[in-house]
Amino acid sequence: MSYFLQLLVSGLVVGSIYALAALGFVLIYKASRVINFAHGQFIAVGAFTVYALVVYLKLNVWLSFGIALFFTALIAFLVEKLFLKPLVGQPIISVIMVTIGLASLLDGLIHLTPFGGGNFSLPRFLPEGGVSFLGVSVSYPQLLAVLLTALFLAGFGWFFQRSTLGAAMRAVADDQMAAMSLGVSVEHVFALAWAAAGITAAAAGFIVGTVSGINLESLVAIGLKVFPAVILGGLDSIPGAVVGGIIIGVLENLATGYLDPLVPGGGTAEVFPFVILLLVLWFKPHGLFGTEEIERV
Amino acid sequence: MRNPWAQTGNYKTDYRQDTAIFATYLEVLSLWAFLAVLLVLPFFLSRPQMFVLDLILVYALAVLGLNITTGYAGLINIGQAAFVGVGAYTAALLAPSLPFWLTVPIGGLAAAVAGGIVGIPSLRIKHLYLAIATLAFQIIFEWTVGHSTILKQGGAISMPRVEFLGYRVGYKNHYYFWYFVILLVVVVLAFAFRNLLRTRFGRALVAVRDNDRAADAMGMHPGLTKIFAFALGGFYAGVAGALYAYLSRAVVIEDYMLPVSIKFLAMAIVGGLGSLVGSFLGPAFLVLLDLNMEDLANWLKSLGLSYAGVDIASAMRPLTFGLVIVLFLIFEPRGLANWWRLVRNFFRNWPFKY
Repeated sequence: MSYFLQLLVSGLVVGSIYALAALGFVLIYKASRVINFAHGQFIAVGAFTVYALVVYLKLNVWLSFGIALFFTALIAFLVEKLFLKPLVGQPIISVIMVTIGLASLLDGLIHLTPFGGGNFSLPRFLPEGGVSFLGVSVSYPQLLAVLLTALFLAGFGWFFQRSTLGAAMRAVADDQMAAMSLGVSVEHVFALAWAAAGITAAAAGFIVGTVSGINLESLVAIGLKVFPAVILGGLDSIPGAVVGGIIIGVLENLATGYLDPLVPGGGTAEVFPFVILLLVLWFKPHGLFGTEEIERV
Repeated sequence: MRNPWAQTGNYKTDYRQDTAIFATYLEVLSLWAFLAVLLVLPFFLSRPQMFVLDLILVYALAVLGLNITTGYAGLINIGQAAFVGVGAYTAALLAPSLPFWLTVPIGGLAAAVAGGIVGIPSLRIKHLYLAIATLAFQIIFEWTVGHSTILKQGGAISMPRVEFLGYRVGYKNHYYFWYFVILLVVVVLAFAFRNLLRTRFGRALVAVRDNDRAADAMGMHPGLTKIFAFALGGFYAGVAGALYAYLSRAVVIEDYMLPVSIKFLAMAIVGGLGSLVGSFLGPAFLVLLDLNMEDLANWLKSLGLSYAGVDIASAMRPLTFGLVIVLFLIFEPRGLANWWRLVRNFFRNWPFKY
């Protein structure tokens, strides 16, 4: 039982990372119907920015985190302005292909920095040990991960419900034409959605950095794990992204705990989420909270 | 008076003439001339050059398949390398017991079945979700190969040398022999590709891409059409994979992973989606670019742009592929095929202006 609970808790931590990453992904999808294949690269940009600032410039961790949030948001914003804006009005296929190209491009750019290969870990800034309850021990980094995720989700929740910009973004997601006629700058909202996605990506990257080591490959892999999360939750649902992310994280950890001994070589966590993805696509294609598109001729 | 050698005007009077592939005798002649050049080319090329030529043709096959799913049917496929891999591994498993002229089509069929399975969700959902399904297939494929002892967990499985009608293929004639095999396959499959759009199946693909509700109302089945597109694209990929396995004489998982899928997409985009000529121009462009990448990386190093911990060579590849995809999509979405079209139209009317 305590083994199960332990798996559940560490799954929750992984799941909160996925939830944050998935949130950014869904923000972009809701605003502009673009599936962003470069999300993992944004996460990597965030994580490595924090690392570079902390280790090379010896800045305070929280200050570096703040700068990384801003920097990643700026990169995402520029990416939208430079590469996606020229394609507004083009078939959605080309827009999605551009994000695939961008993923490759950013990958190459990161390879030009010293972060292309190898493992890096942030210097420890939290005390050793952790808290334990019901026989389950939770380390401080893990606790921080969950709290930080909750904080960001609450922040974004507030932003979308209460602020004018958030309302404008929801309006665009709802009906572009109507939003435009009411004076919302759709162009502006697209770029903002990307910037917001950059912020969540950087936060996810930072959390990965505190919980475990960072390397480009695993960060990009998180960008891919976003897909099972958002498909499970429903591609266009923000609560769905969070719930889907957490469920995928937990299931993935349970798979590691219970399926790995059965599979020669182990590593079921890498593939299990994608099996779930295919199953969801077959049996409940719009996920848990996604809206089913009803088409009329 | 109609001139059969140059297009001096629009003389088409019925539908058959409109769907004809060749507008003038000049085009028929140039195609035959091009094929003749391809046939005698090996006698002028060295072994390494032959390898590059073989590689381009094999990639062109995979890109033809991608152009059916993504170009004709409009379904983004991020798992083409996995389909190629299904063909390659099928060939690798069968090669010790069967001759190559059986393993290659069987590899194609295996990949076609895989394509059909990946396409199943299209019975209920639309293209955006399908792109994600192909991504899932790619990852599941990589993992499965990596965990199968029979496939050496992704390590190199060597392919036997082949014998054909008593002709033994050894080190010296390997690339030459496979060149002619691949050329034959490419000509047949390219012929099929070009004529696909003149059949009802091919027209259904395009109709479903452009508006699946309208296609549905006209009596086509959008879901089955998409599954058909995936299966057909998978078949081309599988044949390419089996040929690639024989050509490179080893099957390694690195050749069938996600970055390779992206490379195929880049080739299709650079060439021009849905274009036959583009399916050859794209691979040729990127293979030649890839070959020069190492020189470029060394040149950059010699300029002193390299520093510790950075491997420029491993950065150049994703960087250029990404850049090529993005720039072509923004500035020339119709790809190199469009440039080809402009040149051809010039000669089609020559010496007249229009």
